[in-house]
Amino acid sequence: MNKLIVILIFLFTFSVGGCAFDVIHVKQIPVNLESGNYCDNSFVLSTNADVTPSGGYKRTLKQGTRWDCIGRVAQGNVYATKDQILTIEASNVFEAYIVISSKKLVGFYLPVEHTYSPLENPIPLVMDELKQQPK
Amino acid sequence: MKIALNAFAAIFVAFFLAGCATGPKFSEISSSIDEPAADKGRINIYRTAVLGAAVQPEVKLNGEVVGKAVPNGFFYVDRGPGDYKITTSTEVDRHLSLTLDKDQTRYVRLNISMGFFVGHVYPELVENTVGKQEIQQCSYTGR
Repeated sequence: MNKLIVILIFLFTFSVGGCAFDVIHVKQIPVNLESGNYCDNSFVLSTNADVTPSGGYKRTLKQGTRWDCIGRVAQGNVYATKDQILTIEASNVFEAYIVISSKKLVGFYLPVEHTYSPLENPIPLVMDELKQQPK
Repeated sequence: MKIALNAFAAIFVAFFLAGCATGPKFSEISSSIDEPAADKGRINIYRTAVLGAAVQPEVKLNGEVVGKAVPNGFFYVDRGPGDYKITTSTEVDRHLSLTLDKDQTRYVRLNISMGFFVGHVYPELVENTVGKQEIQQCSYTGR
């Protein structure tokens, strides 16, 4: 009986020993951020927007936060804010900006990784545009 | 029986608190901490969680050891604008990636979560309003 327990412990330890525990990933695609004069607009979110990035942890883009366009990637324009912290999280945590196309949030730009993380279902945002406002 | 119980309780409390930071608190020394140089920003790194007090991994900034995840402890690093990765290692590596601008102050809280053999310490970027409040009672553990 004791031998059986030892064998089971050994097998269990052996089987999980190789696990990296990095079991949840954020889907990322390498992209090139073009930060020239592609956009100079800003907007303020009119309502909260709840989003669930690919890592699975829900985030809320807060009503009243101002977002400034800082460039574009192939998937849309990239907006950053100083009004709230935005990270996307899986086993690791990544600071993120939002990517918008046709007034829909389509994904996130990760500025340190230089990657794009798509949303499974794009979300329409209710926004008040502040065109040509000084940043 | 009662003596044994008291002794056990005392040992438990001592063991529980042994790993906590004991230096001056942020609220006591914040006014004497120099501002970062004009071309730099500051990252305040702190841990409020006492759970898993024995688990105190090193904290690395872009691969360089800058401190330890001591319960109720804080330290800070001043760096130029750029991209940074803050990493903690227990039985696994956990990292936070963040940007830093000059004159910017950021707060990173070191949280603890369940692990297989030991707890996992992971860094989280928090709002400045939250970080400023939570760091007040943490003790300085910097070098």
